[in-house]
Amino acid sequence: MKVAIIGYAISNLGWDVEKTREEHVFEVAKSAIEDAGIDRKDVCTVVSASTDFLDGRTISNCMLIGATGAYLKDESKAEEDGMYAALYAAQRIMAGVHEIALAVSHTHSWIFNPHQISHYMLEPWFDRQNDLLNEITLGALQARIYMNNYGADELDLAEISVKNLRNAANVPYAFRKLHDVTAEEVLEAEMYSDPLTELMISPPCDGAAAVVLASEEVAKEICPNPVWIKGIGNACDNYLRDRDLTRLNSLEIAARRAYRMAGIEEPFREVDVAEISERFAHQELMAYEALGFCREGKGRVLIEEGMTEVYGDIPVNPSGGALAGDPICATGMIRLIEAAKQIRGEAENQVEDCRTALAHAQWGLLAQKNLVFILGDEP
Amino acid sequence: MGVVRYEGLPFVARFRWNTGKIMEKFYEKFAEKQIIAARCENCGYTVVPPRMICPKCSSKMDEKNLVNMDGRGVVLSHTVVRKKLDGKGNFIDLNKPEIVAAIKLKGADSQIFVRLGEVEAEELKPGMEVVPVWAEKPEGKPSDLLYFKPG
Repeated sequence: MKVAIIGYAISNLGWDVEKTREEHVFEVAKSAIEDAGIDRKDVCTVVSASTDFLDGRTISNCMLIGATGAYLKDESKAEEDGMYAALYAAQRIMAGVHEIALAVSHTHSWIFNPHQISHYMLEPWFDRQNDLLNEITLGALQARIYMNNYGADELDLAEISVKNLRNAANVPYAFRKLHDVTAEEVLEAEMYSDPLTELMISPPCDGAAAVVLASEEVAKEICPNPVWIKGIGNACDNYLRDRDLTRLNSLEIAARRAYRMAGIEEPFREVDVAEISERFAHQELMAYEALGFCREGKGRVLIEEGMTEVYGDIPVNPSGGALAGDPICATGMIRLIEAAKQIRGEAENQVEDCRTALAHAQWGLLAQKNLVFILGDEP
Repeated sequence: MGVVRYEGLPFVARFRWNTGKIMEKFYEKFAEKQIIAARCENCGYTVVPPRMICPKCSSKMDEKNLVNMDGRGVVLSHTVVRKKLDGKGNFIDLNKPEIVAAIKLKGADSQIFVRLGEVEAEELKPGMEVVPVWAEKPEGKPSDLLYFKPG
C-alpha cells in the first residue's frame, strides 16, 4: 500500500509567540487540511507529537482534541518528534485501516528551557548526579570525539552553521536567519561548552507543524500533486553510555533501510536534496557520513567543497535545518515538509530538478534514534 | 504586555526510584573506593555502572556478573563547560570553567561522563590516563566520587 503527503503547514517559528498551544495547533491542523483540499470530516485518524516534560503537563494532548479535529476519531499521541507521528499515521494507512490521516506536532520552548529538560533525559542514579551534564555539554563531548577521530575542526563546524543560517535568511518562518554571517562570527559567538558556540547549537523555539497523508487511491483522486513516500527506515541505538559517539550508527541503519525500500543504491547520486535534524553543527557532518553521502570521516570534505550548498551536488538543509529554529517535536516534521516542498517545487531555496528528497528526524540524547523518509514525485 | 500568564508547576515532585540490587552494590562499593561493572556472560560486554540487562545482547545479569575495576581510565573526549544550568532553566556563566570528559575505564566497554580536576584543559588529550579522586570519608553514596585526575 502506497502513501502520499497531500497537505502540510508550518507555523511561524518564534520565541514566545504569545499563542496558546491550542491556537497554534489549530492553525497548522486547519491549514494542512485546507492545503490538502479536504474537509475536517474526511480525516479518519490523528496522531500528534509532543512531550509532556516540555509541555509542563501530562497527557499533554488531552486538551488538543478540538484543535486537531480528533473528536471521537482514532487518535494517539507520540512522545517523539512529529516525523514519528507521520510514520505511525502512514503505517495506519499502509495497514489498510484508514484512508486519510493527520499528523500534528508542536513544542513551545518558551514554557521552560528545553536544555534544562535534557538533563532529565539522563539515567537518574549516576549520570543525573552530575549537574554539568545536559545535551549541550554531552553534544560538546560528541563533537570533540568526532573531530579527534576524523580530523575535522572548529572551522568545519562553523561552516555548517554559516550555510544553514544563510539559507534560512530566505525562509519566512525561520527563527534564526543570518544573511551575512561569517565563520569568524560563528566561532566568536558566545561559548557554551567548547567547541560549541551559541551559533553551533540549535535554538529552541515555539512552533507547530501538520501533515495530511492519504492512501494511493485517495491521493490520486483528490490531489493534483501528491508527494509519495518511497522509503522509510527507523533505528534506535543504545543509551549514550553504550554507544560509539564517533558515528551515528542508528542513522546509518535507518538510512540503509529507507534506501532499500526506495530502491536507492547510490545515495550521493540518487538523492537530490536532504533535510536533516542537526541539533548541533557537528551532527550534520556526522549525518553526511551516516546517510552515505561520503565515506566515514569525510563529512568535512562535503562542506569544505560546498557540495551541500543549495547549488551543490547534494544540497543539505536548504531550509536552514534545526540550526535555524528548533521547535523540538516539530523540527523533524518540518524537515519532512521541506523535503515535500522541494519535490513540489515550492521551496524558498529550491533545488533544480528535484525528484527524490530525503528527510530525517532524531530523538533522544545525541540522536539515540533516527528516522529517515525518502520522498518522490511518483508512486 | 497585557498577557496573563500562569507560572510554576502546581506541585513539586520528589521522585524516588528503586535503583535495583546491582546499582545498590555499585554505590556500596564506593565506601571502599571501588568501582564495579557488570560483565555479560553471554557476549562479554562489560558495562559500568552495572546494569541488570546487557545493553548489547539483552541477557539478564545479576550480582554474579559484577566485576571489580581498578578505577583507571582513559580520556576519550573532553569539554570546558562555560555555562551551567541552575536546575531552574537558567544558564549561569561559570567564572571558573569546569571540565567534563567522556572516559573509558580499563576493562569496560561502555563509557562514563565525569568531572575532571587537578588538570588544565590545554594539557588534556585523548588517551590520557586518569584515576578517581574520592572523598576523604566515603559513605557509599554518589558524592563519594569527587572527580577524576590525570594519573
